[in-house]
Order: sequence, then C-alpha cells, then structure tokens
Amino acid sequence: MSAITALKAPRRRGNTGIALSRRAGMVFVLPALILFAVFIAYPLFTALSYSFFGWTGILRGDFVGIENYVTLFTKLPYSEDIPNAFVHNILLFFGAMVFQNTVGLGLATLLHRLTRFKRFFQTMYTLPYLVSPLVIGYLWSLMLSPLFGPVNAVLRGIGLGELAQPWLGNPQTAIWVVVLVTAWQWIGFPVLLYGAALGGIPEEIDEAASLDGASAWQRFRSITLPMLVPAIGTVSVLTFIGAMEAFPIPYALGGSQGNPAGATDVLSLLFYRTAFESGSSNAIGTSSAIATLLFLFIFGISMLITMLLRRAERKLF
Amino acid sequence: MTATITPSTADAPSDGRDGRRSSRPNGGARRRRPKVTAGGMASSVFLWLYAAISIAPLLLMVSNSLRTTQDMATQPLGLPLPPDFTSYQKAWITASFDTYFFNSIFVTVASVLLSTVVSLLAAYAFARTKSKLFTALEGLFLSGLMLPVYLAILPLFFLLDAAGMISNLWGLILVYGALGIPFSTFVLSSFFRQLPIELDEAARLDGAGPFQTFWRVHLPLVKPAIATVVVFRFVPVWNDFFYPLILIRDQDSYTLPVGITRFFGEYQTDWATLFAGLTLATIPLVVLFLLATKQIVSGLTAGMSK
Amino acid sequence: MMRRRILTAAALLTGSALLLSACAPSASSGDEQASGDAVTLKVWSWRTEDVEAYNKIFDVFEKEHPNITVEFEAFQNTEYNQILTTGLAGSDGPDVPMVRAYGQLQPNIEAGQLEPIDGKVDGLDGIAPSVIAGAKGKADGKTYAVPLATQTLQMFYNKQIFEEQGLEVPTTWDEFIDVQEKLLAAGITPMALGAKDDWILPIFADIVGSARYGGSEFEEQVLSGETDFNDPDYVASLGIITEMEKYLTPDVVGVSYTDSQIQFSSGQAAQFPGGSFEIATFRNQAPDLEFGSYQVPVPDDAVLDAPVSPAYADGNFAINSKSTHQDEAVELLNWLATPEFGQLVADELNQFSAIPGVEYEDAAMQEAWSNYEDGQAPYLLLVDFRYGEPLGTAVLGQQVQKMFLGETDAAGAAAALQTGISQWFVPGE
Repeated sequence: MSAITALKAPRRRGNTGIALSRRAGMVFVLPALILFAVFIAYPLFTALSYSFFGWTGILRGDFVGIENYVTLFTKLPYSEDIPNAFVHNILLFFGAMVFQNTVGLGLATLLHRLTRFKRFFQTMYTLPYLVSPLVIGYLWSLMLSPLFGPVNAVLRGIGLGELAQPWLGNPQTAIWVVVLVTAWQWIGFPVLLYGAALGGIPEEIDEAASLDGASAWQRFRSITLPMLVPAIGTVSVLTFIGAMEAFPIPYALGGSQGNPAGATDVLSLLFYRTAFESGSSNAIGTSSAIATLLFLFIFGISMLITMLLRRAERKLF
Repeated sequence: MTATITPSTADAPSDGRDGRRSSRPNGGARRRRPKVTAGGMASSVFLWLYAAISIAPLLLMVSNSLRTTQDMATQPLGLPLPPDFTSYQKAWITASFDTYFFNSIFVTVASVLLSTVVSLLAAYAFARTKSKLFTALEGLFLSGLMLPVYLAILPLFFLLDAAGMISNLWGLILVYGALGIPFSTFVLSSFFRQLPIELDEAARLDGAGPFQTFWRVHLPLVKPAIATVVVFRFVPVWNDFFYPLILIRDQDSYTLPVGITRFFGEYQTDWATLFAGLTLATIPLVVLFLLATKQIVSGLTAGMSK
Repeated sequence: MMRRRILTAAALLTGSALLLSACAPSASSGDEQASGDAVTLKVWSWRTEDVEAYNKIFDVFEKEHPNITVEFEAFQNTEYNQILTTGLAGSDGPDVPMVRAYGQLQPNIEAGQLEPIDGKVDGLDGIAPSVIAGAKGKADGKTYAVPLATQTLQMFYNKQIFEEQGLEVPTTWDEFIDVQEKLLAAGITPMALGAKDDWILPIFADIVGSARYGGSEFEEQVLSGETDFNDPDYVASLGIITEMEKYLTPDVVGVSYTDSQIQFSSGQAAQFPGGSFEIATFRNQAPDLEFGSYQVPVPDDAVLDAPVSPAYADGNFAINSKSTHQDEAVELLNWLATPEFGQLVADELNQFSAIPGVEYEDAAMQEAWSNYEDGQAPYLLLVDFRYGEPLGTAVLGQQVQKMFLGETDAAGAAAALQTGISQWFVPGE
C-alpha cells in the first residue's frame, strides 16, 4: 500500500491514461456487451421502433412515420399533459439536486468528522432506500394524511398548527412532497459517496493550506470541492436520470393521474396511463413515442452533464 | 446521548481506532482535542433529527405490521398494544415466504454477481483505454440506465418466450444481470479512473498481463466500490416485482415481492399483512447493508485516494 | 484480427436473438391434451382480495365437471393490463382471463386475442343491455365475454348515526339537504369523500347528479349528437357538487380514498357516496358497522322525476383465442353464466351478479339491489366515454378537483369534458 501511495502522491493528472490495447479492452468489455446487447439494447431499440407504427392492440399495423409524435404535440390530452409533466420532472431534478448537495453534503461532512455513531447514522440514513419506493410513497401518504397523519399532529403538538395542511391535496405543496420524499429516500447514496470522497482528501493538503492561513471557505472551495467533483458528477447524472424516470413515488403519492388536478404528474405517469389505462387501440404507438422522446432527452442531457463534468475535472485538477 | 463531533475547524482526529486513519500521517501536535462546542451540539441535533425523519415512516410500517387491519381502520395511528403477530404468520403462509424467499435469494445473488463481474471487467476497460469506440460503448451502456422498464418489457417478453425461458429463474437472472450493467459500469469506471495510471505501469514492469494487473492490482483497490455497487443493485433487484410478474408464470418460481403484491387489492389492501411481509422482506437487506457498510464506509476512501 | 472475430461473435449472438424473437408472437404451442383426459384451465384475475372466495367457487364447478380443474391466479390490479397483454400474446397464458369492461376491453378484442362467444354460451339474454355492452366489441358488436358483476353507485349511510340524530332516509331534495345540515350542526362530517383520488369523483358526480341531467335519456341524446356536455342540465348537475362541498371534509382534495373509507367505517362520517364494491370492504373493516344505502333524491328542475342508481359492468370472463382447451373454456363460461354461479358471486364475493335471479342474503346488499331495481341509469362516463384518450372519467375527475380547489366552475368543467372526449368521440357512430 505504501508503495502505491508513494506512486500516487506526485500528481493526479493523467489518471485516465491508456494502459490497455484496444484488443485487450475489447476482451474485457465483451461479456458485458453481449449481455447488454441481448437484454437491453435489443428490447430497447425494438420498443422505440414501435413508435413509428400504427397499432391495433398488440398487433402492429402500418409504418406511420412520425404521426405518433405529431399526435403528442397537437392532440389533447398529450399537448397539455406533456409540458405540465415535464416541468414537474425538471422540478424533481433541481429539488433533488439542491437537497442532496445541501442536506446530503452537510450530513456527509458532519459524519466525516464524527468519531462515534458514524455507522449508526449511515445505516439510519440509508434505511429508506432499502424499502421499495412504492411502499415508501404509501407510507408517506399515510404520514401526511390531513385526517389521521402524524405530521400534522406533530405540527399542532409543537404549536405550529398553522403550518398543518393537506400536504398532498394542495397543488402548491403536493409536488414538493414528491420532490422531498424522492430525495429523502435516495439520500443514503450521496451521503455515502460524498463521505467517501471527503475521506479521500489527503489531510496533509488541508493542513498545509490551513497553516498558510486559508479560511475554511477557501479550503472548501479550492481543496474539498475539486475533490468532490467526480462524486458530485456521478450523483448529478444518476439524479437526473432518476428524476426524469420517476415513477413509483409519484404514483404512490398522487395516483396515475398525478393528483390533485395534475399537480404531481410526471412523464412516466403519462406513459403509464397512455400505455395501460387508455381505451385507445393505438396505445402502444403513442406511449412508445412518449418513451422515445423521454429517452432521447435524458440521454442527450446526461451526455452533456458527463461531458461538462469531465471538462470541469480536467480544469480543477 | 450526543455524538462526539470535532469542532468544524479542527482536523479530522486520528484516534487510532480506525485502521484507515491510523495509517495516515497526521499533524500530531497541531491536532486539537475533540470537544463539544455550540457548533458541535447543533450538528449533533441535526444528525439525530435527520435520523428520526429517516426512520419515522419505517417505524410506522413495523408498528402497523403488529396491528390488525381492522384496528388500523378505526385508529390509523394507534400503537401496537398489545402487539399482534398474526399478520406475520399470515404473510409467511399467504406469500409462501419459504419458497419465494429462496427464489429471491437465488435470483438476486446470481444476478448481482453476474452484473458486477461483467461490469468490473468492462469498467476497467473503459477507464484504461482511450478510443472513440470505447467512449461510444460507455455512452451506449449509460443509455441502459434510461431504459423505461415498462417500455421494453414487451420485446423482452417475446425474446424470453421465444427462447422458452418464461417462468425460468435464469431468464430473470439474465435480465436483471443486464439491467445492472449500466449503473455498475457507471459507478465502477469512475472509481477505476481515480486509480493512478502508474499502478498499471508498475505492474507491467513486473511482467503482469492486463488481466493479472486487473485482478491483482486494481480489484483489491476497488473493493469498497464493489460493495457500493452490490448494495445499490441488490436492493432494487430484491424489491422488484414488475419483471417477475410479467416474466414468471409458474407459482413455484415467484420471488418474494410478487408474493407481497397479493396483499394489494383493487379496492382493499390488507395493510397489516402487507407491512408484515415488507418488514420480513426488508430484514435481509438491513443485514446485508450492515455487513457491507464496513466495506463501503471505512474502506471506500482507500479506493479513492490511495 | 481478434477484434473482428469478437465483434462477429457478438453480432451473431445478437442476430440470433433477433431472429428468435422475430417469430415470437406466433409461438402458440402449448402442451396438447388428449381428449377425455383431465384438463386444467388457467383463470386469471386482478382480484387479489378474492382468491380464497374464487377457490371455493371453482371447487363447486370442479365437482360438477370432474374432467376440468380450474387454476385460479390473481395478479396486482395496477399491473394487470400489462400482465394480460403479454399473457394473451405469448405461450403459457391463461385459458379464461378476467378482462376489463367497455373501452379497456377493445384493444384485446381488436387484436384478435379473444374468442367471440355468441351462440356458444347460453344465458346471456337475461343480462341487462348496459351490462352486456361492457363485454362487446365496439366495432363488430360481437359478444366476447360473460359479465361478472354489476356495480351500482349509491349513498351509503351509517344507520346508528342516523338513529342517534333522529334522521330518516331522505326522499325529497329538501329532506336530503336537511339531513346534511343537521349532521353538520351536530358536528358530524356528513359525507366522506376521498377527493384526492380522481377516479372516485365522477362516481360522486353521478350519484348526486345523474337524475338531474337525465340518466339514460341524456345518454341517448349525447351519443346521437343531439346534445353535448355543455348542455345546461349537465352543467347544473355538476353544480350540485359545489353545493355539496360544505358537507364534505374541509380540504377534501387532501383526503385519500382509503382515508375516506376509514372515516366512514369508523363512524367519523355519516355517509359515503360510493359503489356497491364498498360493501365487502366495509364488512371487512368494521364487521359491526350497520349501514344501508339510498338513492340521492331528485333535485328541483331535474330532468328525471324519480331517483336513480347509476350502474356499470365490472369485470368479464373471456376466452383466450390461443387456449388449447377451447371446448372446456366454453364449458366454464357457460357455467359462469348460470344463476348458480351468480348466487356464488353474491354469497362469496359480496358482489351483485350480472346474471338475473340472484338472492342477496346480506341486508345492505339486498337494500342496494332493490334501490337499483327501482331506478337504473348508466354510469355515463365509464359506460360510454372510455373508448379513447383521454378517458371521460379521467377528465371529469381532474376537473372536479379543480372545482374543489376553486380553479374552475361547473360550466368550465363541463366544457373541458366536452373538449376532451371530442378528441376521439364522434356522435352518431
């Protein structure tokens, strides 16, 4: 280990160097590639191709070009539901990002300094992740019930009765409940990952900077933050994908229609009800078009985030 | 019951209890004693408060699993006094826990093993090559994360049906194994990238081939990352009911979550039994997590910095 | 060189997978049965709560038909449509699946996944037309399934609370309002409604408003194109909802359907506007609860002069066209259309059978059934307006929430409903 540390010490630059020939690399990638091609790529692209056909139930009809896509933007309910749901997906992403990078990072920082109970807290914070999100959604709707829920009862109990309200019945609060519950369930991941990254910062550097008179903020800005960039990047991309694909928690909290009055609607719910609750026989065509657009959007933005982060990493190191 | 927090300006303590820390050079004389300050108190309060928020809904789940559904209907937030264990008995029998439990273990372990092994190899290659082909492949793998599960089920179903693998646990394992690749390669490759290239150079000088380098030098260093990936893949596979509902027709091959879905009715849900079933199903995950955190938490940093 | 070989291998593997799946949908080989041998029929349903009852019911069938064994399996309701779609498309699916009614049945019919049963199954003639309509193909008019149950929508009330407050079942609109006012004055929530769940709201709208807009008379007119949902009578029927708001829990949009069930079954609310499917739930949740049901009286200016219970068919049993046991499946469907099965539906499932001539032992069920026989109406949006996107029920559910939130009024909600269904509904077809 010490030899490795010594090797590593001089620089971090050039970590992503070439150590494998293309041929050897291919051998390493092959098993995953085969599995991926057969069970993900093939079904995925087949399913996406469905969006270019007309359908009668499960029977594929004629090639219709982009007709299903045109429907999405010109016909009700899609032309109204898509922008509405899309905004909520974006809120979900930014809300979760803010939550994870403030509360999550805060918890990770505090835990990093902790000597006792560290694992206890880490376990506590990760527990919600262990329960299926659908059930987490149901549990929170029980907690937030205006009639029987403990949340309002606690608020009244501590003299904050004015804050008690029908959390999931008010369009203004309902979407934030979805955002917070989603971020809350997933918080264990950023806490662990940020904790790991913080632990990876060599103390010598921090101490040296401290001796040189750098303030806490300066040290955070120029030492801690750069070291956290890869972890923040990983969390950002996964959060983005998670927010765009959010399904079980919105479903459990607001049903397939995004109650109340579409306030918690997200794109996956729109996909779900178009595909499985509709009386239209072209359900597969329309719903595949929704999924294709969603997929392309997520893919494009994720790639963009990844690229920006790689660039930021290079700049910071 | 206050957790010890070192003041925010202090350097991380090295009390020698933790192997990771003791191996690290420390500032000796400059190190301040940990003491409880106002800031420390505030942090403590914050940590405990958040812990309470974390487990409140889960306590509700456990508490309600010890009550009858009728009791819940009249008093939604009553305490389980005296606790009623019949729901556990019912959950165990109705959801055929004994059979489904082993199916779940088998499917989850095998598929996580499969996805982790192939992802480790692929992630290593992604981190240690520089060519457009591999960048493209990495992008392709990442696209799998964006796969809307409901969308791809139809072609997936036909694929397995044609191969005669419906109701076959191996079919399910292959699907889950493949589904784990995007997340696993994504996380693992970022860890492999953290490892200095000099490691490879040194290994090559010692005459090690690519696979030996991977196996002897890199793998031990990313152990904690492996633990992370295993836990964060294990959980969704263990909890998933969608794929087995569609892909498994034979009741003897059901997994635990499919058994649990039986308590969700159209107009009435058997909450008590549902919560009992969920509590039972969550216990193995908690155990796994407790075992794995040691790896993830205390060792993860090694993979990232040393 | 090596790379090419690897790529070729990968391509081959992928290719063969593609080939395999290309012929997938036609794969319909099941294990063939020699005639006369024991046959096992697979029956699928979304009624997870009824598994025990169905096992009992099919035991009766198996005794009478010793060569057939019925294997009943229930799947989660919310995933059932997808399970059924793949089940009917692939091998190893059900022989007799429970299928949805009305609009949601059409995709299965149009894709040829179900066998028409006209002329094969006896006993369908006695079934009410609006109920059997739920088992027919919209395009070809053929019957594809045997309806299982009729759901009727009424106002359930807590007998004990009514007694304690000295209240009688109202028979006029004024008495109806009077009951609500007295309950309110006594500090009891008059009606429990879970307006957070959109699907219950069109049910509520029809319970209080069907007679006001004209029940089946209006249905005929709107289907023929004589009128539409902007009709003043329909708008006025939605106006009743606003009038009822003060008798519901405050912030009603925050109350979930399950909360409202608890409110009623625990005696915290005196009435529950809902479907007959609630009876089984209430019996389970609160075995001691004494409840009855009544039809909401006719308001002033109503189109109809007598109260009605809106109703619809819920659940059908059909035959998978890929089933290798067509004869036995027909045998089973014939049995499902007998009064014997109808009686078992009533006794074991606590549901109203679609088959006439069934007796209801449960007092609450008998009461609800005789109410329904006194005045029938279709649950309009479910029966006629779920054949395209958006579903009529979904649009109105959301609009009623907006009414409760003060974002729209009755006229606006009706207009939105009309705009929504106009996306696919052509009058007179």
